[in-house]
Amino acid sequence: MTPLAQAILNGLMTGALIAAPAVGFTTIFAVLRYPSFAIAAHATLGAFAAWYVNTRLGAGVPLSVAVGFLFAALVGGSLEHAALRGLRGAGALTVSIGSIALNLVLENAVRFSFGNDLRGYDLPLAPDLRFAGLRVGAQQIETLVFAAAIMAAVFIFLRYTRFGRAMRAVADNPDLARLKGVDPERIAVAALMLGAGLAGAGGVLIGLDTSIDPLTGFRVLLSVFAAAVLGGLGSIPGAVVGALALGVAEELALLVLPATYRTGVGFLAILLMLTFRPRGLLGERAV
Amino acid sequence: MSLLAATDVVGGYARDEQILKGASIRVDPGEIVVIIGPNGAGKSTLLKAVAGLVTVQSGAIVFDGADVTRLDAMARARAGLAFVPQERNVFATMSVAENLSISAFLDPRAEAARVAELAGRYPLLTERRHALARTLSGGQRQILAMAMGLMAKPRLMLLDEPTAGLSPRAADELFAAIVDLNRAGLPMLMVEQHAIEALAIAARAYVMVAGKVSAEGPGPALADDPQIRRLFLGG
Repeated sequence: MTPLAQAILNGLMTGALIAAPAVGFTTIFAVLRYPSFAIAAHATLGAFAAWYVNTRLGAGVPLSVAVGFLFAALVGGSLEHAALRGLRGAGALTVSIGSIALNLVLENAVRFSFGNDLRGYDLPLAPDLRFAGLRVGAQQIETLVFAAAIMAAVFIFLRYTRFGRAMRAVADNPDLARLKGVDPERIAVAALMLGAGLAGAGGVLIGLDTSIDPLTGFRVLLSVFAAAVLGGLGSIPGAVVGALALGVAEELALLVLPATYRTGVGFLAILLMLTFRPRGLLGERAV
Repeated sequence: MSLLAATDVVGGYARDEQILKGASIRVDPGEIVVIIGPNGAGKSTLLKAVAGLVTVQSGAIVFDGADVTRLDAMARARAGLAFVPQERNVFATMSVAENLSISAFLDPRAEAARVAELAGRYPLLTERRHALARTLSGGQRQILAMAMGLMAKPRLMLLDEPTAGLSPRAADELFAAIVDLNRAGLPMLMVEQHAIEALAIAARAYVMVAGKVSAEGPGPALADDPQIRRLFLGG
């Protein structure tokens, strides 16, 4: 029983790490109607910006997460807007391919700037916590709290602020939103910034859990995509549920499969979901 | 002076498409004006051209003395035109309250007062304020869509087939709501398939055929015209 419970606990922790980038991915999809694979580079940008202020300037974890969010939002989001804006009229496939190219450019810019070495954040050492036969790292709990706080902030922004509601309105029905005086172009920029920022914050959380290198975002890209598809592309609650479900599924698979097959769980989840329930676990786009 | 005058409007959804081939209509203050005609005549396209959702290639649209022909839909909404589309006219994944709130996007300070005023007129806005718009019945959804249009305190309401898909009872209730609003001083320009009922409440009406106006006159008079009855009202 304990290995199963431990796997579920680990899965929730893993899922929490990819929840923020998955929400970022799905936000961009909901508003701009294309899957942005540059989300991987935004995660890496955020992770490195946070690493810099953490290790070079001595910033604590909360400030580092905030810097990761802001840097990815401002730099990643505005670069994606500038680079892909002209492609939007050519359809989702073209913009999506453009996002892959942008991802490669940004990833290599990080590589040229910082090299390929693995880097870790300066974190105080703390012993693992044990309860009921289960083990969890103190840093993992902190990461989980940050992930939950980020999700709560996104929820409050979208539900209770005027601009957040406008973003949901554009995601739901852009033509009607325009008739109500909401400028879809401004909302598109905001969605890109929010999506890239969430990916950046997610990149920091991944770095806090392990280490970072220029491929930090790319390594989780499949899981992020799978989580968004699982929850229903365009659904923010769906992306969170999809991330947690995928994390648990990956950890449970490790009980019976070698670790090398872990990535396959994401592919399998996408395959099964698109075959049997293409609208996702939560059914309908609802940012 | 007319509140709205569309003169010789030529246009369509694509740049070189001509669904409208020189259509001219006007709405005077306080009027309900109805456009009827066969499918494909360009009725809804003309309404969308007035709302700024269709490319106007030539002709002019003047609203309240100002030429709005080159303004986009947002600018026309700001000028006081409220367009209620036939379909997808509410934000389906948002609650009734959120639908009303986003409809006050241009003037958020007036939101609370407008919601209170509309709730007095349409109790369902309060009764179902937390319900997602997609869970409303067809009639309730149309009332919400009209209320969303009213949130911006428009000076002319453009209604595209408001009773489409409604039960006869719901359609009657909606016509009553439209008359009620008009009596409160709001002019309306409406495209409607239930032509006999619509002509009965219209101060003036236009019959459109193939992108042009082929007849016009007071609504009840058009409804009594034998030729109009034979061609467009099923005898």
